[in-house]
Amino acid sequence: MEDWLWTALLRALAFGTPILLAGLGEIYAERSGVVNLGVEGMMALGALAAFATAQTSGSPALGLLAALAAAALAALLFAMAAVGLRANQYVAGLALSMLGLGLAGLLGKPFEGAPLERTLPEGAFVAGALLLALALWFFLQHTYWGLVLRSAGENPEAVDAMGVNVFLVRYAAVAFGGAMAGLAGAFLSLAYRPSWADGITSGLGWIAVALAIFASWHPLKAALAALFFGALYHLSYRLQAQVTPELLKAMPYLFVVLVLSLSALGRGPSGAPEALGTPYERGERR
Amino acid sequence: MRKTVLTVLLVLLGALGMAQGDKLKACWIYVGPVGDYGWSHAHDQGRLAAEKALPWLETQYVESVPEAQAEAYIDRLVKQGCQVIFATSFGYMDSVLAAARKHPDVIFAHATGFKRAPNVATYMADFYQLYYLNGLMAGALTRSGKVGYVGAFPIPELKRHISAFALGVRAVNPDAEVLVRWIYEWYNPAAAKEATEALIADGADVLAFTEDSPTVIQVAAKKGIPSFSHYSPMQSFAPDYVVSGQLVHWEKIYIDFLAKVHAGVYTNKNLQDVDYWWLLPQGAVELGGEFGVPVNPKFIPALKAKKVKSPVFGEISVYDLVMKELALMSDVELAFDPFQGPVTDRQGKLRVPAGLRMTKQQLETMEWAAPGVTGPWPNEPK
Repeated sequence: MEDWLWTALLRALAFGTPILLAGLGEIYAERSGVVNLGVEGMMALGALAAFATAQTSGSPALGLLAALAAAALAALLFAMAAVGLRANQYVAGLALSMLGLGLAGLLGKPFEGAPLERTLPEGAFVAGALLLALALWFFLQHTYWGLVLRSAGENPEAVDAMGVNVFLVRYAAVAFGGAMAGLAGAFLSLAYRPSWADGITSGLGWIAVALAIFASWHPLKAALAALFFGALYHLSYRLQAQVTPELLKAMPYLFVVLVLSLSALGRGPSGAPEALGTPYERGERR
Repeated sequence: MRKTVLTVLLVLLGALGMAQGDKLKACWIYVGPVGDYGWSHAHDQGRLAAEKALPWLETQYVESVPEAQAEAYIDRLVKQGCQVIFATSFGYMDSVLAAARKHPDVIFAHATGFKRAPNVATYMADFYQLYYLNGLMAGALTRSGKVGYVGAFPIPELKRHISAFALGVRAVNPDAEVLVRWIYEWYNPAAAKEATEALIADGADVLAFTEDSPTVIQVAAKKGIPSFSHYSPMQSFAPDYVVSGQLVHWEKIYIDFLAKVHAGVYTNKNLQDVDYWWLLPQGAVELGGEFGVPVNPKFIPALKAKKVKSPVFGEISVYDLVMKELALMSDVELAFDPFQGPVTDRQGKLRVPAGLRMTKQQLETMEWAAPGVTGPWPNEPK
C-alpha cells in the first residue's frame, strides 16, 4: 500500500511538472492583466527548439536556453498584438496557439523520430518546478515588483500614476510566461520523453490555462493543483479496471467548471485580477 | 551525321512518348503526418517502395487529411490526374464511396474498410499471427507472470491482436496475465508513458503496445524491462530491450494491386469483390523489431533456455517453437493458426469449436477477450 502511494505520488509529480511550469507562467501573465491562450503553441515551439538545439549541438543545457528564448519570443509577438496594439487577447492567444503548433510541426519535420544522445533527468525538473513555485510566490506577494505586477492586473491606472510603465510590465510578464511555457516544452522533449514529434504537447498547454484559474492565480496553490491533476491522470490508468477512464480524464476540466461556478456564487476562491483581459490604454476611463 | 542524330533523337522522343502514355498515376491520402513512427509512415514507405519497383508509376500524396475532409481532397487529386487513389484510414470509408460514385473512372482502394463498389477495393495487412508469436516470447520472459499491454482504442482490431498475444503468453506460461490499459488515442506519447508507468507499478515486467510512437519501448528500457516493437522498426530506440515485434510491408499489396491495374486485370468495373487480407504467407507482415531480424539475438539464449511441452512438437524451447510456428504460418497451407479451436473467451464461453478456425469476418468483428486478459474490455459480449 505504501509502495502504491509512493509511485502514485512520484508519477503525479512528474506528469504535473509541465502543467505546473506552464501554469506558473500563465499565472504571471494573467496577474499582470493579460490572458494568453497561446500556451499550447509556445510549449510546442519550446519543445522543438529544445530538441533541435540539443540534438544538433549535443548539449541539452543549450537546448533548454533555446526553448526559453524561442517561447519567450513567440510570447512577445503575441504581446505586440495584445498589449501594444490592444488586440483582443483571446483571439490573439488562439492565433498564437495555432501558429505555434503549426510552425513547430512544420519546422520539426527533419527531427521526427531522431534519437537524443544526452537527456536531462526528470527529477531535476520536478524539483525545479516546485522550487520555482515557491520563489515565484515569494516574488509576487512579498516584493515591490511583485506588487507592481499584481497592480498592473488589478488597477493599471494606479500603476501608471506611480510612474511605472504598464505596457513594459505587461510585456515582461507575458514574455516570462512564454519562457515558462518553453521550459515546460523542454521538459517534454528533453526529459519526460526525450524525442520530438508533431503533437508532443497533446493538450497540456490547455490544462495549464485551466490550472491558472483552478489555482485562483496563486503560485503555491498551483503546485497543489498540478499535483492533483497529475494524480488524476496517473490514476486514470492505475484504476482503469475499476473506474471509467473517461471520467477521470474529464476530472480536471470538471473541477475548473466547479471552481468557477463556486466563485461566481461568491462562496469559493476567487481572485481573478480586476483588469484581466482588458487592454490598457493611457488616459482612458474604464 | 546530322540526319543520324536527328533520327536517334526522334526515336528516343517516340519511346519517351510511348512510355509517357503507359504511365499510371497513383495517389495516397494519409490521416497522419508521414514523419510519425506509425501508420502513415508505414504506408508512405510502401508508396516509395512501389514507386521504385514500378518504372511506369507516378505517385503523389497528401498527409494529415482530417477524416471529415477526405472528399474535398479526393476531388482535388482527381483533378490533378490521379487514376488510382489509396485512402489509408478507416474513417475515410464513406467519403471514399461517395467520391467513387462521383468519379466512376477513377480506381479507389480503401485500407481497413469493409464497404466495396465496382471501383472501390479494400485491403489490409494484419498482424494477429505475429502477435501470437510475440506472446510466446513474452510468456517465456516474464518472471512476475504479468505482461503489460498499452492499447490505443478498444476496437475489434486491437481485441484480436491482444487476444492472440494472450493466447501466446498462456501457451508458454499457463498462469500468466496480460494487463491491458487503454489510452483512447492512436498517438499520444504522454498518455502512453503514464499508462506504461502504471502497468510497471502494477507489476508488469514485459510490455507490448499499440500506439504510434516508441514511447512504451523507451520508458520500459529505462527500467530495464523488455518490450515488443509495434508497426515500424523501433528496435534502434532500445537495442538491448526490444525482443521482437510486428513490421508491415504495405508495398507488397500496393505493387500487386497497381501491377494488376496496369495490366488491365483490375478495372473501374470489377473491384466489387477485391478484398486483400494479407498475412505472413503473402509477405505483407514480418516478425521483428527491425527488418530482417525476427528475434533480437540478445534474447535468443533466454528463449532457448525456456522449454515448453507442445502438443505438436513435444518438448521444445520457446525459441524453436516461435521459429517452427512462424514457418508454418508463413506457408500458404497455414498448418497452424493462433485461433485454432477449441478456444474459449475469458469468461469460459466456447468461442471457436474444436477443429475450426475463425473466419476473416469473425476476426474482423471480434469483441471477446482471450483467457488471461485482465482489465477493462468495453463492449465485451456476455
